[in-house]
Amino acid sequence: MILEAKDLNYYYQDGEQRRYILKDTSISFEKGKFYTILGQSGSGKTTLLSLLSALDSPHSGEILFNEEDIKKIGYEKYRRNNVGIIFQSYNLVPTFTAVENVLVPMSITENEIPEDTKTVAYNLLDYIGIVKNKADRLVNRLSGGEQQRVAIARALATNVELILADEPTGNLDEEMEQEIIDIFKRLAHEHGKCVIVVTHSNEIALQSDQAFRLRKGVLSAYE
Amino acid sequence: MNFIKRGFLGITRKKGKSLILLAVIFILGNLISGAISIQQATGNVESTIKERLGTAATIDIDYDEWEAKPDTDVEEINVDLIKEIGNLSYVKYYDYSMSTWMGSESVERYQDEEMDGDYFVDGPSMDFRLKGINYAPVIDFEEGKAELTDGRVFTDDEIEKGTSVTIISHKLANENNLHVGDTFTLANEVYTYDEETGEEDFVTSRDVVLEIIGLFEPQEAKKETDENADSGMMILTDDMEYHNTVYVPNEIVIDESQFNWEEYMKADEEFAEMMEGEEESFEYYEPIYYLNNPEDIEAFTEEVKPLLPELYTVISASDQYENIAGPIESMSKLAKYVLIVAVIATVLITGLVVLLFLRDRKRELGIYLSLGEKRSRVVGQILIEVMVVAVVGITLSLFSGNLLAQQVSDTMMKADDNKDEYYEEYYYEGISTDLTADDVMDSYEVTLNSSYILGFYGVGLVTILISTIIPLIYIVRLNPKKILM
Ligand SMILES: Nc1ncnc2c1ncn2[C@@H]1O[C@H](COP(=O)(O)OP(=O)(O)O)[C@@H](O)[C@H]1O
Ligand SMILES: [Mg+2]
Repeated sequence: MILEAKDLNYYYQDGEQRRYILKDTSISFEKGKFYTILGQSGSGKTTLLSLLSALDSPHSGEILFNEEDIKKIGYEKYRRNNVGIIFQSYNLVPTFTAVENVLVPMSITENEIPEDTKTVAYNLLDYIGIVKNKADRLVNRLSGGEQQRVAIARALATNVELILADEPTGNLDEEMEQEIIDIFKRLAHEHGKCVIVVTHSNEIALQSDQAFRLRKGVLSAYE
Repeated sequence: MNFIKRGFLGITRKKGKSLILLAVIFILGNLISGAISIQQATGNVESTIKERLGTAATIDIDYDEWEAKPDTDVEEINVDLIKEIGNLSYVKYYDYSMSTWMGSESVERYQDEEMDGDYFVDGPSMDFRLKGINYAPVIDFEEGKAELTDGRVFTDDEIEKGTSVTIISHKLANENNLHVGDTFTLANEVYTYDEETGEEDFVTSRDVVLEIIGLFEPQEAKKETDENADSGMMILTDDMEYHNTVYVPNEIVIDESQFNWEEYMKADEEFAEMMEGEEESFEYYEPIYYLNNPEDIEAFTEEVKPLLPELYTVISASDQYENIAGPIESMSKLAKYVLIVAVIATVLITGLVVLLFLRDRKRELGIYLSLGEKRSRVVGQILIEVMVVAVVGITLSLFSGNLLAQQVSDTMMKADDNKDEYYEEYYYEGISTDLTADDVMDSYEVTLNSSYILGFYGVGLVTILISTIIPLIYIVRLNPKKILM
């Protein structure tokens, strides 16, 4: 078990009342698998992902990474060394080139990475489908699909085993969507990563090794 | 791509914003550096002028206050108090002096060639000033007002006993063919004065025979004769006065004054009756203190004031600074206000500009945080971006602000030149100065010296640092989830 969430509770205070987004939610993930969490808009998918990526903390419950509470690891350190996050809106630094964006986390992480970071970054981009001359472009001169590839390369740059993605294809057309999903599959099956993708798309859910449905704050298996 | 490299990329990839920040810092930097330049220049004037004014101080009645309270009984300053003040730690050395005037049958007063006979007044000849001394090495010599060119100074023993010895000026000795070891005979003459007729009658006289133990030469300080004819004349008489001054122990002056007084009483019975029963002291001293440092004067005054009898005050050489340094002082004040306003404006404006720029880059900063970057390093990156631009802006304004200050102060001084100010002052020997507002203006100079450079970099960089506090608080409070998800 690489990642395990136990009895997560997350709510918004609505006057006197608590509106629960996640109620006693438990879920666990293994390495080498491609997971999807399916839910309608507003069902709490982003909330769950923000907890799993330590960008926010639950009101109660715990999240274990390799059996260790991420609170104990330290949220910042966990983000720095253990998880790669991919956002719906790419979130790249617009004044940097693609390769510079990939280099950023490499200077932040404490993980061991090859010394020649630039070559690693170019190779990563190439593997994800960004050729050298595009890698040297400022990212806002790349298409949406290309930008999301750069974001995936950035998530992989620190050599993490856990990839979390929040509706990564939400802004892309179908063709592009499929290419991205194929990358995720490859990462899970060929490179042994644990890939967790949050989505509202049935098609994506059907392609995953295991899918969950999030509804009214409760998680259940999706067949 | 660590935070330092990101900081530099932040400057070069956003040239427009960097230039705006540079322009803001440069413009405000000019105000700060100009104000500091003027402050430094006026500060230098103050210290050089105060240095030239010296560390001398005395105590005397505050005549303005006496005018306000004319009925006050004025006590005399006694020797014990003079000594008590003299023993304060600020005092380097001190003296107190009693003077009298006498003529001589055998010795002619020294007369400058340029002077006509019109100096002489009718009546008894009082050619020589006997200046009493208590400080045996003679404070005027120690302070460089004059130099001992032959013989020796007094001994403590001579001072205490009032031995009949004297130190006279070299020129006076030459004029009369006197040498060290010779005697100099003065006449203590007593006259009565008839108030109705204005006639003076000779009563009696006694010889005061002094052995010359040393010769002195007044220091040639008054070399530059003022263009102003009046003051030139003044200086000349001052100078001549000094050549006709003879230093003696205080005791001699007291003795002779007493003799003169007693003989006068014998001659004028009416006056004697009037004075009957009045305790008359012949000791009336003018104290003079030299302090270790010009800066000590305020502390010295603070300590002395409580010791003084009513109406008395401390008069110091540096008091005159306020009178002659008016234009400089007002410039210094103006520069101080400009500096304060400029620093506050810089903190606010730069802070606001940086904050606006950061809000634009909220997403970028959120990305770093989401990747697990430490907040301190994100802060560090922004500090690098701001400070590198600030150093460039401050360096540019270092020179231009200094130039600006030169122009501004030139203009202000010219404007001030037209105002001819005149100060009415009491004259205190050893304290009063002939320095004028022109001397003050002349010593004013805006320069590009190291203390200005350090001072300006210090003030400038600290100001910019302070201006980044609010923007940096903004960074520390950023929530990457809210920004990115
Ligand atoms: N700051 C907030 N205050 C109150 N409710 C919020 C806030 N942010 C999100 N929500 C609510 O929480 C629920 C879950 O949001 P989210 O996790 O973003 O859903 P999803 O990603 O599945 O669309 C939504 O119903 C949303 O309205
Ligand atoms: Mg969402």
